[in-house]
Amino acid sequence: MSERLNIVDHNQLFRQEKYVRQREGKRAFEAPCSPEEVTSTLEYTKTKEYKDKNFARTAVVVNPAKACQPLGAVMAALGFEKTLPFIHGSQGCTAYFRSHLARHFKEPVPAVSTSMTEDAAVFGGMRNLIDGMENCIALYQPQMIAVCTTCMAEVIGDDLSAFLANARQEGALPEDMPVPFANTPSFSGSHITGYDAMLRSVLETLYNKSGRTPQPGHELKLNVLLGFDGYTGNFAEMRRILGLFGVPYTILGDHSSNFDSGATGEYSYYYGGTPLEDVPKAADAAGTLAIQQHSLRKTLGYMKRTWGQQVSSVSTPLGIHATDRLLEEISRLSGREIPEALKQERARILDAMMDSHAYLHGKRVAMAGDPDMLIGLIGFCLELGMEPVHIVCSNGDRKFEKEAELLLKSSPYGAEATVHCGQDLWHMRSLLFEDPVDLAIGSSHLKFAAKEAKIPLLRVGFPIFDRHHMHRYPIIGYQGALNLLTQFVNTVLDVMEEQAPDHSFDLVR
Amino acid sequence: MEAAVPSGRLEISCGNKIPKSTPCPRPVPGEASGGCSFDGAQITLIPIADAAHLVHGPMACLGNSWESRGSLSSGPELSAYGFTTDLGEQDIIFGGEQKLHESIHYIVSRFAPPAVFVYTTCVTALTGEDIEGVCKAESERLGTPIIPVNSPGFVGSKNLGTRLAGDVLFQHIIGTTEPEQTTSHDVNLIGEYNIAGEMWYIERLMQQTGMSILSRITGDGRFREIGWAHRAKANMVVCSRALLGLAVQMERKYGIPYFEGSFYGAKETSYSLRQMAYLTGDRDVERRVDKLAAREEMRLSLELEPYRKQLKGKRAVLYTGGVKSWSVITALQELGIKVVGVGTNKSTAEDVSRIAARIGDDAEYIPEGGARQILKTVRSRKADMVIAGGRNMYMALKEQIPFVDINQERHKAYAGYDGLLSLAKQLVHTLQHPVWELTAKLAPWEEETEFAD
Ligand code: SF4
Repeated sequence: MSERLNIVDHNQLFRQEKYVRQREGKRAFEAPCSPEEVTSTLEYTKTKEYKDKNFARTAVVVNPAKACQPLGAVMAALGFEKTLPFIHGSQGCTAYFRSHLARHFKEPVPAVSTSMTEDAAVFGGMRNLIDGMENCIALYQPQMIAVCTTCMAEVIGDDLSAFLANARQEGALPEDMPVPFANTPSFSGSHITGYDAMLRSVLETLYNKSGRTPQPGHELKLNVLLGFDGYTGNFAEMRRILGLFGVPYTILGDHSSNFDSGATGEYSYYYGGTPLEDVPKAADAAGTLAIQQHSLRKTLGYMKRTWGQQVSSVSTPLGIHATDRLLEEISRLSGREIPEALKQERARILDAMMDSHAYLHGKRVAMAGDPDMLIGLIGFCLELGMEPVHIVCSNGDRKFEKEAELLLKSSPYGAEATVHCGQDLWHMRSLLFEDPVDLAIGSSHLKFAAKEAKIPLLRVGFPIFDRHHMHRYPIIGYQGALNLLTQFVNTVLDVMEEQAPDHSFDLVR
Repeated sequence: MEAAVPSGRLEISCGNKIPKSTPCPRPVPGEASGGCSFDGAQITLIPIADAAHLVHGPMACLGNSWESRGSLSSGPELSAYGFTTDLGEQDIIFGGEQKLHESIHYIVSRFAPPAVFVYTTCVTALTGEDIEGVCKAESERLGTPIIPVNSPGFVGSKNLGTRLAGDVLFQHIIGTTEPEQTTSHDVNLIGEYNIAGEMWYIERLMQQTGMSILSRITGDGRFREIGWAHRAKANMVVCSRALLGLAVQMERKYGIPYFEGSFYGAKETSYSLRQMAYLTGDRDVERRVDKLAAREEMRLSLELEPYRKQLKGKRAVLYTGGVKSWSVITALQELGIKVVGVGTNKSTAEDVSRIAARIGDDAEYIPEGGARQILKTVRSRKADMVIAGGRNMYMALKEQIPFVDINQERHKAYAGYDGLLSLAKQLVHTLQHPVWELTAKLAPWEEETEFAD
């Protein structure tokens, strides 16, 4: 093809004069407010006074920074081999979950729903559940079906365990098919609690089904939990690190291959995940390492209590200190030395940090995200000499808040920070205007506030809809620290260059 | 000003039956199915760009969906904000009406929108919140229209939600304002959502013939302008089966004739413009439309030449919703593409007969089944590409099949004459991308082993 694909899209096309004129004409006929009024109102929304009003808001959420429980449950389900996420409720939510995950990972997402309708709302959703089981087994041939509820099923009070028992009795559900289930109404918790609830249920169901009794420490193996993680690259990095240690391990809930499969020419519903038979064996492991703690509370509690496992949990290991801790924990749990290769890697990453430190030092940042991710980010920013200023955590609680504050107190760079739990991105917008910062860190949803405040956004977290392949690069471990550092410093350099006058448009930075 | 158009004009409408209440099959439990009625209502009304859209329910409904529409606005952006009451457990137990009151109040006092749409969701419908009552009380108190949209997810499919949204427009909005001026060539576009700015193409074409759009329902629409939709001389229902009911209702009440048309493909575009001009009843306009159509079609056929050469005989599977399934077929046929498979799961009987009129028995009809069925058809019919919506994209790519996105998330406009040219270019370039060469061949070591055997 000699001609390049150059279809003018609306971004360019509608800047052309004729369209601009057309729009002007339209505006006149819309009878809008005057431009002055628009500007003055807009200015008002950037003031302290408006911010106070905004923070006094209690009823409405504007631009939320969290998703709901069943979304997390779907992600947890896809961490296991040949497992079909099955959502008991009306069908719309399921379509949302599928597209939400598909847009982030750029992968197809199998998930089905009981498609409850008005009759089900009145008479209960048992029929839907039973028929749904029969259909989905015929269509998708799963090895396990992971059932979660939406708020609808919860409001009418459907009893999942009774329904499932009936389904088995009717023969719609084979006796040996494991069906973990979790109650995940979206009116409580968020995607991370849903993830936790489903993961716990999967472990418990598969374990109980095996009929074993736990023998903790019987196998010199580690269980590893990554939690609600939007980075498939983190799984690869975790495997690499454990490989260097030479530690045998089982990742419980490994959704990386389902969300990052190859284009082989044949589509399949299932691409991988933790093998089901590995779960009961996991009860005999030497210990469990979780790299998200706030989002895995129920699961870890179960493993400690019922499996008698020694559990070590840290927040997302971003940056040097957090990775050090991770390695120490692996070493402690497995009794192996920290491998030389990782020590060298650490030195190299430190070298890279020194190379870049001048550009990041003193940069003030705002960040929004999930609790564990934020703890990791705060720590890394402090190491880089960046100053966290506004921290918004829609789904954070007191425990998280305390931990974050403690961490911030540990460094002079954290002195200015305030932690806002339960707030949304419209609060964040006020914060950005009232007390401007240099950089914002968060998911794609933060881009609107950041753009308005003219702050570059470093996309970290979930969901990232508007950039490609970021989730394939790990952000945990030393290697992950290097990836984040590269992204951070180069964004700063891009901005510098954009704004540079001719005399300082330098070749070498 | 008088609302009714002389009743003699009524016969020219292409149908006068409101579609039956269940246009689509009921969702089947245990299948990966599409969106809910709430979703349908939301995507129909959200393009009203200057209004605030408040979702009364828990986080699920909005948290996973905000800012993902492809409808563009040429001005206000308020509808892009995600507003929700984010109900928690306590609200479910004790009721969320107070929260709704406060939310509405907050939105009106801080954002001063011309109207607030309040959406029920499964949860607030089940807990029996009196949303209508709250909306009514707040409308009176605040002097801003607060409009309840009663379309919880469980009542049915996305299409049904679209229809319910049409009812909302008809009952609460249309007929509530008056335009400053009207002409004899005012037309409403119904069911045009300005995906990727398509409406703006159409608007330009219409302007060139002296016609204008009185109300855009709802792509790039404004609340007030939809209020005066009853003053139009004709309604065009663009590619949306579900809003046909709205056009029928408007004809009954205001005597506005309507027709169903599409802007995909040159033929359909010319037809639609002609039909519009005919309904406005102005011979001058009709003449101008004829001229424009002749000129554009001529220009287009010259410009399309090189692309037609490359697309001729290519085979495509088309999987898209409702009316688009037949109108896009025309567009593809104009480009010389053979449609060998077509999805009919969201089409009505009339749509299917229109599809049949275009491709007869040459193609496989895919009534349901999603990805698996699409892929099966691609293989059995030896198709060169899949043209569908984003949800099926990644599956097609796993199978290394060239894919063109035709649904709401795309960023390219395909409407009108220029749109057809864009579509042609897009198809050619998709098919010619070097990655298909890579995927078609085995890796070198695989070739060797094959050789060795
Ligand atoms: S309205 Fe109902 S089905 Fe639709 S997203 Fe909300 S809870 Fe789910």
